[in-house]
Amino acid sequence: MFDFNAARKRSELYMNIRKFFIEKDYLEVFTPTLAPALIPEPTIKIFGTEFRNEFTGNLPLYMIPSPEVFMKKLLAAGSPSIFQISQCFRNSEQLGDIHNPEFTMLEYYTLGFDEMDSIRLTIEMIEKIKVSEPEWLSKEPLIITMDEAMKEYAGVDMEKAEDIMYLRTEAERLGLDPPENESWDDTFNRIFLTYTEPSLPADRQVYLTAYPAGIRCLAKQDGRTRKRWEMYINGMEVANCYAEETDRAETEDYFMKEEAILAEERKTTGDVISPADPDFPSITMPESSGVAIGLDRLLAAYLGLKTIEPLLLFPLSDMLTFGKSRQSE
Amino acid sequence: MIKAGQIDKGTALLIKGQPFVCIEREFVNPGKGSAFVRLKLKSPATGQVLSETMKSQDNAEDITVEDRDIQYLYNDGENFTFMSTETYEQLEVPMASFPDYQYFMKEGETYRATFWEDQVLDIIIPSKIVFTVAEAEEAIKGDTVQGATKFVTTETGLRVRVPIFIKQGEKIRVNTETKEYLERVNG
Repeated sequence: MFDFNAARKRSELYMNIRKFFIEKDYLEVFTPTLAPALIPEPTIKIFGTEFRNEFTGNLPLYMIPSPEVFMKKLLAAGSPSIFQISQCFRNSEQLGDIHNPEFTMLEYYTLGFDEMDSIRLTIEMIEKIKVSEPEWLSKEPLIITMDEAMKEYAGVDMEKAEDIMYLRTEAERLGLDPPENESWDDTFNRIFLTYTEPSLPADRQVYLTAYPAGIRCLAKQDGRTRKRWEMYINGMEVANCYAEETDRAETEDYFMKEEAILAEERKTTGDVISPADPDFPSITMPESSGVAIGLDRLLAAYLGLKTIEPLLLFPLSDMLTFGKSRQSE
Repeated sequence: MIKAGQIDKGTALLIKGQPFVCIEREFVNPGKGSAFVRLKLKSPATGQVLSETMKSQDNAEDITVEDRDIQYLYNDGENFTFMSTETYEQLEVPMASFPDYQYFMKEGETYRATFWEDQVLDIIIPSKIVFTVAEAEEAIKGDTVQGATKFVTTETGLRVRVPIFIKQGEKIRVNTETKEYLERVNG
């Protein structure tokens, strides 16, 4: 059954988003969903396809997991603040609940902003673009640092946790069983996902800020943390944000290390892996902050749903026959 | 051994020597981190539910399970007693492991069950079951509003909302998932 009311709400939401950003003088951009090279991201699985042409020969192409690579190139080339609503594709995701391999992302980059400015902008936007009056919207959003959240919900002192031996001991104290030689990131995430994330308040927007610097990404480092946040609504992860890295050497180094991890993985997993975009490491980002929001999830949150499936007119799980037989079981 | 990422709903695992069945599974990708799975695992022996978060690449000990037919005999408030339709041996299953299942257990009826060795891990309830109405409220006189309903109780003790024309002793088909009345069954 198609939910045409939800389809109308989605259309209304997109219209509100466009109005919100255009009134603030952001430029709406439209960048490709199909690309010959991407930003290397070992934690994201991608889809690959092939361009066939008798002059060029057959060339591999990839579906974008986010429009980040193109939007950052525009900013580096002197664009104003920009936003985009685009279809994105992630492989090896779960089918159903709050996942679909094809989904819609809202991405916006603001010149001169850091991640805390982006929180203020996002809170304002979530209120202005609303398509309903859910309970959570009437509650004051919670802004909490990772240090505070790990202390509060897992009893872990993040100042000491830079030492992997302390972190391992804490994991064991909490009844987790990290394998020998587990990386810092994985042990941290084991604790975070088991104790911290499930305990975040599930009745409002939660902005979890200042992630450990040990988890590398293209957000600026600030002492032992990074200037990034993730936002949850009703316990569902909806958005993430960086104060964008502007140091070219740092970007290049990150790029090379991520590429090396991917090259290593390619040997064992057989996953689709795109070449790294050759131009990206040499761009210099202006001072800016970018936010990516899963719009299917945001719409679900507005409509008080726990899954995004009723909002997708054609969820992939329904179109695949095995998905159907699983549902009818 | 299987990878945690391969665990699905219904997968049976051995955790610290005890069998558990996965009842919920969610993939989680923490921002810029490895893939993890969040699992809810139920112990058929005690009904206890465990929450586990594992890396997709972690190993888990899966166990081989087998479906067999068992016939329901009775319960004594603590255990269900079934009989194997192959060996005619009787087996007891703690009722606490299968809350509310007594409402769907009809004496003499055959059910499909999932076994690990001699232990019942799961009992599959058909999506629709025909029950006999053991007790029916009298419809309130004069209540002729169309679509009016009342409650009846089946021989298994299940309370179902039905149309007012259903009488004691009649048979009704019930959706076992929603516990809703579907239709009257003749004969």
